[in-house]
Amino acid sequence: MRQIAIYGKGGIGKSTTTQNLTAGLAELGKNVMVVGCDPKADSTRLLLNGLAQKTVLDTLREEGDVDDLDMIMKTGFGGTRCVESGGPEPGVGCAGRGIITSIGMLEDLGAYTDDLDYVFYDVLGDVVCGGFAMPIREGKAKEIYIVASGEMMALYAANNICKGIQKYAQKGGVRLGGIICNSRNVDREHDLLNAFAKELGSQLIYFVPRDNEVQRAEINRKTVIDHNPKHPQAQEYRQLAEAIENNEMFVIPKPMTQERLEEILIEFGLMENIKDNYVI
Amino acid sequence: MSQAIEQPRFTCALGSYQSAVAIKKGVPILHSGPGCGGQVNRIIGQGEGYAGGSTAPCTNAEEQDVVFGGEKKLRSVVENAFKVIDGELFVVVTGCTAAITGDDVAAVIGEFQEEDKPIVYVEEGGFKSNNYAAHDRLLNAIIDQYVDKFHESDEKVEGLVNVFASIPYQDPYWSGNLEGIKKVLTDIGLKVNILFGGESEGVSEWKTIPNAQFNIAIGPWVGLKAAKHLKVKYQQPFLQFPYLPIGAIETSRFLREVGEFAGLDKDKVEEYIEREEAKYYEHIEKMASFMLEFRYGIPRRVYSIADSSYSLGFSKFLLNELGIIPGTQFIVDDIPEKYQQYVLEQFENISELGNKRDIEVVFDPDAGNSQRKLEEDAKNYEDKRILILGSAWDKNLASKLNADLLIVSPPVQYRLIMNCGYTGYEGGLRAIEDIYDRVLATYR
Repeated sequence: MRQIAIYGKGGIGKSTTTQNLTAGLAELGKNVMVVGCDPKADSTRLLLNGLAQKTVLDTLREEGDVDDLDMIMKTGFGGTRCVESGGPEPGVGCAGRGIITSIGMLEDLGAYTDDLDYVFYDVLGDVVCGGFAMPIREGKAKEIYIVASGEMMALYAANNICKGIQKYAQKGGVRLGGIICNSRNVDREHDLLNAFAKELGSQLIYFVPRDNEVQRAEINRKTVIDHNPKHPQAQEYRQLAEAIENNEMFVIPKPMTQERLEEILIEFGLMENIKDNYVI
Repeated sequence: MSQAIEQPRFTCALGSYQSAVAIKKGVPILHSGPGCGGQVNRIIGQGEGYAGGSTAPCTNAEEQDVVFGGEKKLRSVVENAFKVIDGELFVVVTGCTAAITGDDVAAVIGEFQEEDKPIVYVEEGGFKSNNYAAHDRLLNAIIDQYVDKFHESDEKVEGLVNVFASIPYQDPYWSGNLEGIKKVLTDIGLKVNILFGGESEGVSEWKTIPNAQFNIAIGPWVGLKAAKHLKVKYQQPFLQFPYLPIGAIETSRFLREVGEFAGLDKDKVEEYIEREEAKYYEHIEKMASFMLEFRYGIPRRVYSIADSSYSLGFSKFLLNELGIIPGTQFIVDDIPEKYQQYVLEQFENISELGNKRDIEVVFDPDAGNSQRKLEEDAKNYEDKRILILGSAWDKNLASKLNADLLIVSPPVQYRLIMNCGYTGYEGGLRAIEDIYDRVLATYR
């Protein structure tokens, strides 16, 4: 069983990428569980074709206890098992603790069955506190992928997340599997992400081009593979799934200083002239 | 991780709830994990008082309250506390859980305050401080959130004074000590808001705090914040007396300072002092022959492991009244650095004869360290008698060293304390009795 945590700056497309990727893995015949670790509980919407699911913490709040896995786990596209941790209402309580509670509960209820090939943790924004590091602590996710784009703040966040990974990597076995670029069509994005990943000692594992088909599928509450399996973008996600499936490069990242990050941005993130911009 | 300390002789900030217990018909409401209050009570507490110990309402915050916030539960516990406990002032003290989760305690308690319920809250997440600093916060919370509601005029009542001295239960003899202080101040003509314990009139007394002519803070640091706060809030000047006044010399000095500060008739104060000193020394004279004959039986070395106010108060008393030179003073109340110099200066000048004294003072909240140092030092006095002013935790050490132990610091365990106190003239006599009692009990 490979346990994988997906991190990245808020709004970068972690949930979209994770679900499209897991749809690709499901197509390959893999048994996959997706655990949404975001209080917004929108990590499994595309796999379940809607936000129908009760979160672990909703159930806990209403029932006082969760004693049956069926109360919190639903089956989505291609047999994927979907769980949402959920969280307290905004501005109240401790969402980080909520995630710790939920994952603990999944373990107790026996959600981690031997037939699983993959468990994905879709974690919100950043490793803001111990709760959001829960999926990468000892015994959980051993692989991490960071979703980023060529936008500056996405790279800042990715670098910062690497600091969290580095801390846990030294104690446990967690490793960075690579950077997934969810393209925003910024200047020389591919080069920039390549350089950034290399500087971290890792790799750009896949470059997902920007395509409005993703948006259309989302509005229809579906992954691209589910919504329009023949679309070229569906093929991109299948290739991403294969890249993850075949990945053998797992490293302890070497987060860079702010200065170095800015140097890389200046070196790779600016076009000399308009002809260099192969995207347009 | 911050350094762990062995045998802390105080508690975390939550311990300030014991101060609420010490207010007549005061009811603490704990918003903390189950067991926190009990732990505090085991270190600083003997008996449950009116609504302390296991009587104290508590939200018993658990995982659900962390994840979803504990505000609902707090609201329901407060509502029900009002239904089942006949209290005059309810003090909500919040612990670590609520502090980390960020419960909006002000909003919840604010609802009750708007209904004019006698309730205040103070956020005492255990990690915030020790209970000494927390006690000051609790005082200010009661003043700001409750007392101030009844403040109508800025007029001061001449001779009315608020006293901030012993911290209830942290000072095991708080009840008797406050009684002792109230007695001597009343006797020189003041009306005293002693605020805690049986000698206080309870909540009605608290309501007159703004009308006091001035405030007295006893001790090198605790109570100062409240006194400074009142200076700004109600323009009340304050007098600080740096230690517990134990016995005749210090009590007389205390009364003279207070008398002058309050503008009392000097002759009347002196008259009282003369009368009390005469009574006091008459008792000592009666025993003078015994004390003289027993002089070789009295300890050569007196260590204290206590808080700064006790350590200073007892050192002065021992040196100047009993002629016993204090040994190393281990001060374990985690006194902030900025007050330590002040304490050292007090020690330098403890002798009434005016000569500088070189008393070793060790500031260390780790009483385990203190015990080790004490044991090391005691090797130099193996054939001499030793007295330790310490806590129940020093019992084993005392028996190992064949030393006598007088408990003056929590935890108490081996002594039942009702109204025994060491302040004032009578308190001084009690101190002599207790010291000789310990020494004679093991004398062969």
